[in-house]
Amino acid sequence: MNHIPMRMNAPAIRPQKMTRRAMAKQQTREKVLQAARDLFIERGYEGATIRDIARAAGMSTGAVFASFADKTELFDAILNDDFAGLLDPMQDAFSASTTAKEALVGMFGAAYRAHSAQLPLIQAALAASWTRTPEAERLRRESLRPIRSLVIQTLERGVERGELAAKFDQRLISDMLWDLYLAGYRPAAFEGLSVENQTDRLAERIEVILTAIKA
Amino acid sequence: MGVRETQKLETRRKVLESARDLFNEIGYEETTIRAVAERAGVSVGSVFTTFASKADVLSQVMDDRVEHLYRELEHVAKHMRGSTADRLCSLFAIHYDFECRRVRLFLAHISASFSPTLDRNTIPFGRNSRFRGMIIDMLAEGVERGEICPMTDLELVLDTLMAAYAWNYRLAAAQGCDAATMTEIMDRQIALIFKGLKPH
Repeated sequence: MNHIPMRMNAPAIRPQKMTRRAMAKQQTREKVLQAARDLFIERGYEGATIRDIARAAGMSTGAVFASFADKTELFDAILNDDFAGLLDPMQDAFSASTTAKEALVGMFGAAYRAHSAQLPLIQAALAASWTRTPEAERLRRESLRPIRSLVIQTLERGVERGELAAKFDQRLISDMLWDLYLAGYRPAAFEGLSVENQTDRLAERIEVILTAIKA
Repeated sequence: MGVRETQKLETRRKVLESARDLFNEIGYEETTIRAVAERAGVSVGSVFTTFASKADVLSQVMDDRVEHLYRELEHVAKHMRGSTADRLCSLFAIHYDFECRRVRLFLAHISASFSPTLDRNTIPFGRNSRFRGMIIDMLAEGVERGEICPMTDLELVLDTLMAAYAWNYRLAAAQGCDAATMTEIMDRQIALIFKGLKPH
């Protein structure tokens, strides 16, 4: 079920009738993304070549390059799709929680769970994030916006409910919480932590931040 | 020391210096071992007798750099004035200033530390126990001074501080921010964390 947060009052958009060509392009794109995702998980970012991906998708490398400028762009597209898919489970966790900590641990835990089968992919994404082009960065920020907004909503709700202090820098806190969440991927990958352990570790660190802003 | 050993050390020094410069000038991915060897005036073969891989070269470049910094910091830290929070602000400010002198190199280092293909031998960013040790010492002193609640799990606070410190570099990556900007943010993050550490 799609939970549309109250804030995002998107008007009902009627999908324009796509030309046959546009539809074909969309289908190619989907096929390539799926094939690429599977290969990246199986062989890692370095190991999967455009040629292999094209072959797995049943098309020419030319067709792949028509939709994606290079492997990095393809990789970024997969991850942006991925994050879009996280919104529902994270929204669910938000709705099901009462305290700010419950919400944050639930939301980030849902993300950890969704990613547990593809940690190498996430690791590669994190590695790439330090050298991304400004345009790629802009696209990534776009795809993350709904999720990051959920984090802010959690803080606002905490203030409304009298759980959190009224005056704190929400942006700063939200960034710190997000950074702690991202930081949790590396020990999970390198130490082979279970999702539960990974989430518990994050919960402890979230507590350090929340303690500072409790009402 | 034998001639062989002297030569080996000299090769190592030249390779590390050239790699450091190339990684910073044109980027880590873009730099080949061949280019490094050429800049250093040594053969590719001799590079590989001293280093296991390009990642190993990067790791040792960074180790050597911070070795120098941490030795100084350890001396300086005990003279730092002010509250524990102030002292930590200074510590991180110095580190940001240091790394921003060769920011591209540093970003390559932090990027490599997330690589799924990381060598067992390379010491990834964030696992540097010497710097972490300095912070824990300051926090412990903070407890002694009565600034930090004695029940506090110092390792947790350390991890939280390190995560904030590390991820602030994304500002340098995405927006080309300088050390002063990142330090200003870190100062606020430290102030915030310390709000929650006050003894009851």
